[in-house]
This record gives sequence, structure tokens and C-alpha cells, in this order.
Amino acid sequence: MAELLQNLIDGLGRGSIYALLALGVAVIFGVMHLLNFAHGELITVSGYAAFWAINAGWSWYLTVPLIVVVSVATSLVIERIAFSRVRGADDFTLLLTSFGVHFVVSAVFLLYVSASFKTFARPGWVTDTYSVGSLRVEVFDTVVIAVTVVALIATTLLLQRTMFGLALRAAAADFDTARLMGVRSDSVIRGAFALSGVLAGIAGVFWLMRAGSTFPTAGINPMLKGVLAALIGGLGSLRGAVLGGFALGLAEVLLRSRLPDSVASLTEGVVFLLIALLFIFRPQGLVAVAHAERV
Amino acid sequence: MFPDLRRDVLYPIVGGVVLFALFVGFGLVYQGQLGGAERLVTFALIDAVIVLGIQIYVGNTGILSFGHIGFGAIAGYAFALSAISPAEKAKRISDAPFGLADVQLSPWLAVGVAVAATLVVAFVVGVGLARSGAESGAVSATVITLALLFVTHEVARNWPDLTGGDRAGLSFRIGGTLDSRVPIYVALLVTIVIARLYAQSRSGRLAVAAREDNLASRAMGVNPLVQQMVALLISVAVVSVGASLRVYEKGSILPGDLFFNLTLVTLVMLIVGGRRSVTGTLLGVAVITAGRELARRLGQDGFEVFGIGLDDAPLDWIFRENLKSVFLGVSMLGFMIWRPSGLLDDWELDRWLHARSARSSEPPTDPLPILEPDDSTPLVVEGVNVTFGGFRALTDVGIEARKSEVVGIIGPNGAGKTTLLNVITGLVESSSGSVVLGGADLTSAPSFEIARSGLVRTFQNLRLFTALTVRENVEVSALVAATSRRHQPSPDVDGLLAAAGLWEHRDRRARELDYGTSRRLELARATAMAPAYLLLDEPTSGMSDSESLLMIEQVRRMAGLVGAGVVVIDHDLNFIIGICDRIYCLDCGEVIAHGSPAEIQADPIVQAAYLGAAAQA
Amino acid sequence: MLEVSGLTTKYGEISALREAGLHVGSGEVVGLIGPNGAGKTTLLNSIAGLLTPSEGSVTFEGEDITGRPPEDLVRLGLALVPEHRRVFVDLTAEENLKIGGVTTAGADRAELLEEMGERFPMLRDKWTTPAGYLSGGEAQQLAIARALMSEPRLLMMDEPSLGLAPILVDVVFDLIESLRAQGRTLLVVEQNATRMLDLADRAYVLRSGEVVAEGTGAELRGNKDLFDTFVGN
Repeated sequence: MAELLQNLIDGLGRGSIYALLALGVAVIFGVMHLLNFAHGELITVSGYAAFWAINAGWSWYLTVPLIVVVSVATSLVIERIAFSRVRGADDFTLLLTSFGVHFVVSAVFLLYVSASFKTFARPGWVTDTYSVGSLRVEVFDTVVIAVTVVALIATTLLLQRTMFGLALRAAAADFDTARLMGVRSDSVIRGAFALSGVLAGIAGVFWLMRAGSTFPTAGINPMLKGVLAALIGGLGSLRGAVLGGFALGLAEVLLRSRLPDSVASLTEGVVFLLIALLFIFRPQGLVAVAHAERV
Repeated sequence: MFPDLRRDVLYPIVGGVVLFALFVGFGLVYQGQLGGAERLVTFALIDAVIVLGIQIYVGNTGILSFGHIGFGAIAGYAFALSAISPAEKAKRISDAPFGLADVQLSPWLAVGVAVAATLVVAFVVGVGLARSGAESGAVSATVITLALLFVTHEVARNWPDLTGGDRAGLSFRIGGTLDSRVPIYVALLVTIVIARLYAQSRSGRLAVAAREDNLASRAMGVNPLVQQMVALLISVAVVSVGASLRVYEKGSILPGDLFFNLTLVTLVMLIVGGRRSVTGTLLGVAVITAGRELARRLGQDGFEVFGIGLDDAPLDWIFRENLKSVFLGVSMLGFMIWRPSGLLDDWELDRWLHARSARSSEPPTDPLPILEPDDSTPLVVEGVNVTFGGFRALTDVGIEARKSEVVGIIGPNGAGKTTLLNVITGLVESSSGSVVLGGADLTSAPSFEIARSGLVRTFQNLRLFTALTVRENVEVSALVAATSRRHQPSPDVDGLLAAAGLWEHRDRRARELDYGTSRRLELARATAMAPAYLLLDEPTSGMSDSESLLMIEQVRRMAGLVGAGVVVIDHDLNFIIGICDRIYCLDCGEVIAHGSPAEIQADPIVQAAYLGAAAQA
Repeated sequence: MLEVSGLTTKYGEISALREAGLHVGSGEVVGLIGPNGAGKTTLLNSIAGLLTPSEGSVTFEGEDITGRPPEDLVRLGLALVPEHRRVFVDLTAEENLKIGGVTTAGADRAELLEEMGERFPMLRDKWTTPAGYLSGGEAQQLAIARALMSEPRLLMMDEPSLGLAPILVDVVFDLIESLRAQGRTLLVVEQNATRMLDLADRAYVLRSGEVVAEGTGAELRGNKDLFDTFVGN
């Protein structure tokens, strides 16, 4: 029982980061019908920024906002340079474009910085734990969960209570009709990328705190988590993406603890396999978003 | 299987040999000019086999697979495990499961094992793809295939007893590695020919039709899932051979060898050259290989281009190591933004050669046999009810038609005409009612089966296979008809094109045609199925009055050629009255009138339906 | 107020609209009728910027607006209630209205919302219901109210009575009548030619992408050959 609770908390901790990543992916998909394989690059780039800052003597109090700002800026730059030119293209082109961005970014860092890990000091409290009854809870997990909850609430408020959020939701539902209302396509797409950048920035803060390093292909892992979690939840559903993120986090932790040792190292593979199976038997994900084809 | 032996077998084989010669020739020249490039060229040849394998699937079905290198990994390990000597295996995987540590097969047998093992996995994955509704452009295919790639990688990394794990891997010592290029040459030549033959074969063409327009292909009797599976299996077999060669040449195998990096490289090669063309793919392999090598050398010190050293400080900053990965990324991004269809789009060498050598043909002058329509297969639709959400689209609607007549369906917008057609042709489910053709119940059949049974439709929004030529569009239907219309001879394609006035356009792509010609093509394509009934959805939509009148003649002619009955929906009452023997008028999902053109025209109920009912006083 | 001349719009090779022209004066209610496939929706969409005409021009209050995107036109005072209504199904009725007023200043928007609530009591009951759950008639009202939120000087409507039961058709036409009474300028495409002609000041008949007849509502209504004009005899 205690072990289960322990797993639950660990899972939620991981799941929180995944939920934020997934939400960032889903926001862009909703507006542009693009599965953003370059989402992880935001963390790679802000990772390098963090590396530079920390090693230049910045405290983490300053580095955290830096990470978020760099993440947003990178997101907007990517939109301007790459995605704005393929708007309205078929899915094949959109997918490969985002892949292309991913590879260019990691290649550029590989080329102009180096392939090696760039490490930086993590804040002291990352490894602290405290006890609640028989449970050992990481301070880190607690902070992550708390911040994520706040971020999700803030995002929900943004989407539900502001005109910007309304415009975003309308554009995701029916882009052309939103334009008929006067919503500007440029504004809404840039807004989506900015929002996605903020979410990735927050996720990135914790990802980097945990990792303590960055390297050119650091973006692959968070990108995969984000994309997979968004897919589990059903593309096009923001709620689903968040659920998918938590589900993924919990699944990872539970599998790792439940599987016999010899197979435990295959956890990642098992998760992938399950996701593929989910796609085969329930292609619309956990939260179905139906749409019909006009003949 | 192959509609035209000269065009679909002879020329592809000849062209394939020429391509092979050109490609290998370029490679030999390249390695002659550039010192130390032998190994590079060898791997380029092997990569060409792998990329062509991927092209067979991605190019013809339009489904983006990220998992083919995953299949390659399975093949590579299967090959290695079968071919490496027990002595070598004992060093790394003495505890290999299934007694594999003691097995050693000859390399050829090992390749066979690799192909077989991978095909089994491919079949399972193919079923999964089909279930998830994979079609051109779908996200699900990307995800499932990506999952395959990652799962194989994870298994390879985490099962050291089987694969030697991550750091050590498996390495070869069977009298060394591949000692001559001959097997590679053979594999490449065979692959090129297979790739071209497949694309020209019946299955390949049907797969391409499904790629162009999945819905329209099903309406022409194509079952996309079957063709996609065929393409997948052939493509995986080729990739398996290529992967085995790669492992054999390299002499070892590590999980990272057949994972993301190779996926990226092969994908870029595919899209740069043109994923729809074998010629383009080979060009892509050549361009990317040469480009990467150039980038790599530029990054090294001491490299000179035309005698100019590139070590000067300012340039050195750009030309550093790992430039080749930037090159790859920029190529992928650049082409997606500026030329997504690749350098050659779908141009093929052998088709070009064939077009140039084609004897200028005269259109066939023999009139096609006019098949007498018999009334043995009446179409009876009864009691159809359709509800969308809370909306009653059709209420107890029924129509009847005989092959000897032209039946019209008219009514204001939203009356349910297209919905009725969709129900008849299997695109929409009705909650009750029946569709019976000559006694055969087609009510719940899938659309491709309905088409094969003899009910073929056209679409309101033109749905041609735009990248295919006029002739190829019609050939798709003829190919399907040849295997499904057992009791009826299917019309000769050339004769049909001539009768439809399309002979002069036969080699033009469908997307280049003007509107009127496009409509005639759609009609001809449907006719080539030799259906019992042609179901036309607004064939005169967008036409001027005079064009509509010409359409009457066209429809009569086409239907007459195959003895088909006609059911036509249209808003153009001039057209309808001119062509129909009987007319049903629908309004608000119900049949409100039925009779001859004269009766319908004079019917005040019909007039009211069109002009709108006046306000209730 | 609105001047359209020589407008030609193509879908690839199809000329959906062939040199169509019309004009709408301030305060007028102008109808656009004709059989289906005639190009009525294409004409409205070409004016509203959803389609780009290949030839011809559209002038609104003296300004050339040909081919300008819809986002701009709303701000100039031209609004469209699209065919099939196209309400945002996952947004509530209130949110639909709010987004309709995205171009209006916040305070004015709140006031307008109040007004809409009063003017459309049927909607007020469904304020927080997702628009996807509204009935056809309610959705039509919502679509019209939503367009009104941008305080348009010219309101265009594409087949407002489409797919509605006869009773609801009455409601829609009553609504149009009341808009007319308020002095609104309207350009309405309608399937129900009879009722539209009863209501409109002037009307145009479109067939196969061309304007084949025009006149006052009464003139066309009284025309015994109207059906023939539709058919093209």
C-alpha cells in the first residue's frame, strides 16, 4: 500500500511535466493541425541558456525566468522561420517540416557548441526528501506537482476567461469561421506558439533541474513524452492531453516497479508498445474528438 | 496484372538496368575522383537498396512510415544471429535464448531467415495500421511506425543476451565481411526493377489511386487496405535484404546503427529526390551522399576546393565538424518548405523513354460493342431512414431503376439527395431500409464491394486521381473490373477514351485538364467499371447551360457503351428533363413527387419545393 | 453601399461565378435567389473574402475591398452569417456571441451581449449551453446574433432557412423582417425564393453563375415565368 502511494506520487511528479509538454503540443495541433516534433527543441535551447547563465554565476531565481523567456522566444522564431511557410500544407509536409526543424536545431548545437553534455549545478533542494508517515516524498516532486497545478489552472483561466483564449479555441474549432468573426490568423497562431513556449518553458525548468545538463539531442526525450501523451489523450483535446500526460507518468512508474527485474529495463519499450496498441484499437485516443468527412 | 506489357514490364526492366548503370557508374566515377571514398560508395549502394525499399511503401501508398529502419533492425539482428559463427557468439551472447548461440547458417540462408522473420512482424504491423485507419497523411501511421522503431531499439539495447547489448553489440567473423560488391550490385539491380514493376503492376496502381483519393478509389472498387499491405510486405522484404547487407558489410551491429540517425538519412534521401519516383529516389541517394561527404570534408582541416584552402579563419567558423548533420537537417527543412515533392516529383526514366518512343497512335476506329441493357438487374431501394444526430435526413425513401432507363433525383438543397446516394453506395449507414441489386442485398456492404457488385458513382466535388494521367485514371477502374465483373466483358480502355472524347488528352495528368474534360474523365472512369448502374452526383455542377446540354449526350453515350442504367442527381432541371425517363423529387428527406419529366415539370408541389413555400397566412 | 461588378470566381477550372454584378443601397434588403449550384454562396464568399475572385471588383462604401481577407472586412462593417451557420459547437452560446464581437471594444461588447440576450430570449435560456446542443432554429438565431455583435453596417446571410422546419422558417423570416424594420442593410441568399421576394426590396436571380434577372421583390414575385427562369427554359 505504501509502495503504491509512493508510486502514485512519483508518477504524478513525472506526469506533471509530461502533462505540460503534452498541453503545449496539443495547443499547436488544435490551431494548425500540426504535430510538433520540434517541441523538445525549446528545452534544448533553454537548456543551453541555463548552462550559460548558471556557469556565469546567475542564481536559479534568475535562471528560471530566463528559461521560460528563451523557450517562448525560440518557439516564436521557429514559427516565423519554418512553420509560417508551410501553413495549410498537407499533413505529410507539416510532419516532416517539424522533424526538419528538430534536426536543424540539434545539428546546429552539435556543430557550433559541442556534442558533449553541458552540465550545470542544480539547486540544492532538488534531492531533498521529507517524510510523511512511512512515505519518503521528494521535495522536487511536490514542487513540480504544485507548480503544474497552478500552471494548468492559469492556462485554463487564460483559455476560458480571456478573449485571447476564446479566439484560440474558436480558431481550433473552425479556423475560417473564426476569421469571419475578425480573428487574425497570424495573431492566433503566434499566440498559440507563445503559449506553447510558456508551457514548455515551465516543463523545461523542471526537466533541466532534474537533469542538470543539456546536449544537442536533449530535446528528443521531452518531445516524445509530450507527443505521446498528447496522442494518448486524443489529438485535438486539451483536457485529453493533460490526462494523457499524467497517465503516461503513472504508467511509467508503475511498470517500472511492477515488472520483474530482468524486464524492468524495457519499461520505455513497453510504454511505446502500449501506446501503439492504443492507437490500433482506439485510434481516437482516450478522449475522442469526432469529425466527419464531407463527401 | 500488367495492363500494357510493353509499358509496364519491358520498359521498367530496361529502364531499371539503365538507372542501375547510371547510378553505379556515377558511384565509380565519384570514388575514382575522390580518394578514399570506396567504402562510402559501397554504403551508398546499400543505402540505395534500403531507401528504395522504403520508397515502395511510402511513395506508392503516401503513408509516412518512420518505422522501416525498425524493420531493418529486426532483419539485421536476425541475419547476424543466424550467420555469425558460434565461436564469435560465444564471446558475447553465450546465453542466447532459443539456442541461437549454436546456430550458424550460410549468409544467403541467413538473409532468407531475416526476411522471413521481418515479414511476420510486418504483417502484424500492417494489420495494426489497417485497423487504425491509416491512409495517406494520417497521423496514426506515423505514431505506430515510430513506436515500432523505438520498441525494436529498446529491445535491442536491453536484451544483451540476444543482441549483445548497447556497447558491445554483435560482430562478425565469418571469413571477414562482405568481400566483393557483387551481391550488392545484384541486390540493387533487382530492387530497382522490383520497385518499378510494382509501381506499374495492378496492386501498385490501385495503391497509388488510394493515395490520390482514398474515397474515390473505394468508389471504384479498390480496397486500399489490401493494396497497402501488399506494398508494405514487398517494401519490408527489400529493406530486410538491404539491412542484412549493411550488417554484413559493416561486420557488426549495434542498436544505434539502425535507429534514428539512419531513419533521418533515408528519409531525407527519399524526399530530396522525390518520394514518388524510383529515379528520383536514386537521385536523392546520390545527392545526399555526395552532399554529406562534401560537408564532412569541408569540416576537416586541410580540405581544398579547386585549390582554395578553406582553413582561413572566417570560413573555418562555418566549416566545422558535424557539418553534415546540419546539411541533413537543412535539406529536409528546405525541401519541405520549397519543394515538398522533391527534385523529380514522380518523373520516371522508363516512362519518359516509353513516351518518347511511343508510336503515335490513331484512336481506335472500331466502335465499341454496345451492350444491350437488359432488365435482369433492377435496382430497388426501399424504406431508407437516416438520422444524423437529431436531424432526420431521410424518411422512408425508396427509388427503383432499371438498366434500360435514366432515373433522375431532384430537390432543393438539403433535401437529402446526396445522402441517399451515399446510403446506396455504402458511405453512409441507414438506420433501416434496403438496397437490392438484381436480387443481391447490398445494404450494409462496404463501398468498394458495392462498386464491384455493379453500382459505381461519381462525386459532386470532382474526385479524380490528380497525379495520374487520363489513361491511368481509367485504367484503375478497368483493372478492378477485370477481376470483379465476372459476367461481363469490361470495355477496352482505348476505345472508351476515344468514345469519351479523351483520346487526345490521354497522356495528360488529370490535374491539368479543364473542367469540362475533367467531368468527362470522371464519367469515363466510372464507365470503365462496366457497372450495372452509373450513379451520378451533380455531373453538371459548375457548368454553363450549353455545357450541361452537351453532358446529356455524354452520359447517354457512356451508359450506352456498357448497357448501364443511370441514376442522376442534379439541380439543373434543363439537364434532368432532357435526359431522364423518370424523376423522383425529394424535399426535406422525403419523396414528394415521382413521374415523367412532363408530369414533374407541371407539378405544383415540385414548383413550390423549388421556389419555396409561401408564408402561412 | 455595396457595389459588385464583373465578379468571376473559379474553383480551379470551374467558373462558379461568371461576371456577376449587383448593388445594395443603404437600408435596403436585397435578396439573391436561384437554383442550387447557381453560385449564390460563391458570390457571398467572394464578397466576404473567403474566396478570391479572379476578375471583377467589390466596393464597400466607396472602398475597394476585392480579395481582402474576412478579418479586415469585419472591421470595415461587413459581416457574414455563413451557410450552415457554422457556430462553434464546443463554445457556449454566450462565447459564440463574444467571439462575434472580438473586434468591438470590451465595454461595448458587454453592452451588446446584454442587448442580444434581450433580443433573442430563446438564446438567453441557453446562454451556457454548448452551441452543438442547440436545435437548428436556435443555432440559426445564434449565428445571426453572433454576426450582429460586430455591429455591421451590411449584414450578409447565406441561406438562413436551410434545413429548418417550416415553423422555424417563420421565425427566421420574422427575424429578418425585424432587422429590416430597424433599418439594417441586408443581402440575403435564400432557397425559399417566394418568401424572400415577399420580404425584399429588390432581388437578383442567379443561375449557372450569372445574374439572369433582377427587379423589385414585387416584380419578380408576380412573374409567372419565375420557375422557368430557375429552370432555364
